[in-house]
Amino acid sequence: MNSVHHGTGCYVSFDTSLCDGCTRCVKGCPTKALRVRHGKVVHMQSACIGCGNCLRICHTGAVRAATTDLSHLKKSRISVALVTPILYAQFPGVLPRDILKGLKRLGFHHTVDMSYFFEMFQCATEEFVRENREVGKAPWPLISPVCPVVMRLIQTRFPSLIPHIHPIMRPVAIMAKQVTRILSKHYGVNEGFISMYYINPCPTKKGDDPKTPDQSFTNGGPYAMGICDIYTQLAKEVEHVRSLDDIPMTFSSYEFEQCTSGDGLLWGMVGGEIVASHIEKSLSVSGIDETVSMLEKIEMGLFRDIEYIELRACTEGCIGGALTAIDKYLAKSACQRMINLLGTGKRLNRDRINRLYEKEWFFSRRTEQGGLVSEGFAGHSFTIEEMRKIDGLVQLINGRDCAACGAPDCRTFAEDVIRGDASADDCLVLRARGLTVAQVTEYMNR
Amino acid sequence: MNRLRRTYPVRHGDFIHAGEASIHVKNTLKSLSYCPDLVRRVAICGYEAEMNLVMHGGDGVLTVVIAADEIRLEVADTGPGIENTELAMQEGYSTARDEYREMGFGAGMGLPNMKRNSDEITVDSSPGQGTAVTMVFSVGGRCP
Repeated sequence: MNSVHHGTGCYVSFDTSLCDGCTRCVKGCPTKALRVRHGKVVHMQSACIGCGNCLRICHTGAVRAATTDLSHLKKSRISVALVTPILYAQFPGVLPRDILKGLKRLGFHHTVDMSYFFEMFQCATEEFVRENREVGKAPWPLISPVCPVVMRLIQTRFPSLIPHIHPIMRPVAIMAKQVTRILSKHYGVNEGFISMYYINPCPTKKGDDPKTPDQSFTNGGPYAMGICDIYTQLAKEVEHVRSLDDIPMTFSSYEFEQCTSGDGLLWGMVGGEIVASHIEKSLSVSGIDETVSMLEKIEMGLFRDIEYIELRACTEGCIGGALTAIDKYLAKSACQRMINLLGTGKRLNRDRINRLYEKEWFFSRRTEQGGLVSEGFAGHSFTIEEMRKIDGLVQLINGRDCAACGAPDCRTFAEDVIRGDASADDCLVLRARGLTVAQVTEYMNR
Repeated sequence: MNRLRRTYPVRHGDFIHAGEASIHVKNTLKSLSYCPDLVRRVAICGYEAEMNLVMHGGDGVLTVVIAADEIRLEVADTGPGIENTELAMQEGYSTARDEYREMGFGAGMGLPNMKRNSDEITVDSSPGQGTAVTMVFSVGGRCP
């Protein structure tokens, strides 16, 4: 890893030599995980949820997502690309199978489409909701576990909502579990020989550090590849595939290698998870601010008559992810056209899914003790005395959240001062009024 | 005296900002590390009180006083007042206008909910005199 990038091992890292200290990312961070100190960005990893807002905002290219590049394929014996419909949406007018062929030309041994696993997730979800109506295992509304950013938002800012998280494994985890099982059996090899690469629309995975396995996956987990990182190379291969007449898939003895469906494509867009399921009392929400506002309301005891809430941190859903390649509205239109072409409807054998469900095959250990535990912000707890001082300082500054101090707003700055992470001297407003640190401290202690 | 006091104006008919004061109170209590159940109860009561002001009460003020042993929510408004407070405390009794019911409010659960979720409640009101509701939550009382 590049040593200038501090924050490796987290979802994003920062190259401080490129940072110009503009504070735009600081203001745009939904969990206030960023500050500018001495003209450079500082990343507080414990508060980072990997939403990718800083990636979108930064105009100097100082932010980088923790992803794996294509050269890694050379190191793996059996490589599998886990493909979401969001990848197809990046190529308007191109058939999914041509994109999968393109991926094979890039060096993947297998390409697996996610649609079946969305269906499996949905069947299991409907079953759980039905059961929950009868026996009340979890509180309403259930919160969709699909968006990993939302999961981490709950973990850090809304730990009291952890019991609301729907306990079924995320579709990508179901996929990884199934693919590993089938391929290791097919090749007669240990699971460790199979390397999975999740072609990602967002920075959902911490840096490839074996010490931080993502709990969504069964065996240490797939590597994460950003769509935008492979897009140019993939586009070339796709172009090549399309210029030939029909070349057959090199290997497709597995039914799920190429199984795109209209239902699967729906998942790229906000509301898709709800549309394709049969849960009547459901809502879908997208965008990080809207998501935070919804979680605030659920925490206040509202929406208890709703059974299931789909939350997506990115506006318009996963097609709006920070690691996608084309405009989200173009991608949406590509999805919609493809859904028209493929039609919707389920294809899975429901009895088989129900048998797996009975065996508790789908359940994640997320909500169990020690699973998804509340992390809380490091040092975010104050005493009443400290809170009074914070209120006092905010009142004294009476500012306009200018962020010139390097904190996103005056209140956060005041909290930093009380914690000892910033000095009252950093505030331009206080300095302009000629107030010294001693005078400010005296005012706060009054 | 180690108390934190905050006041929030609440405007009659302002559905857009209704609930913001309670969210602010909730987040303050969270960063003061009060137990989640207590935080939730204060937030629910604050929200119900805010909605009462927005729908019936007229302009008013929500005040929270936070101390180590108890939290007080005081809500005072200059509205029409409550004709029969005993009736108003009954579940399902509602004087909400039809338009509010269409919005999903006015189920007659406001004051009863506040009573259920607080440890102490006093309602001081008479027609034409406005309403003052005080709720007290004892810290440690119902927390694990």
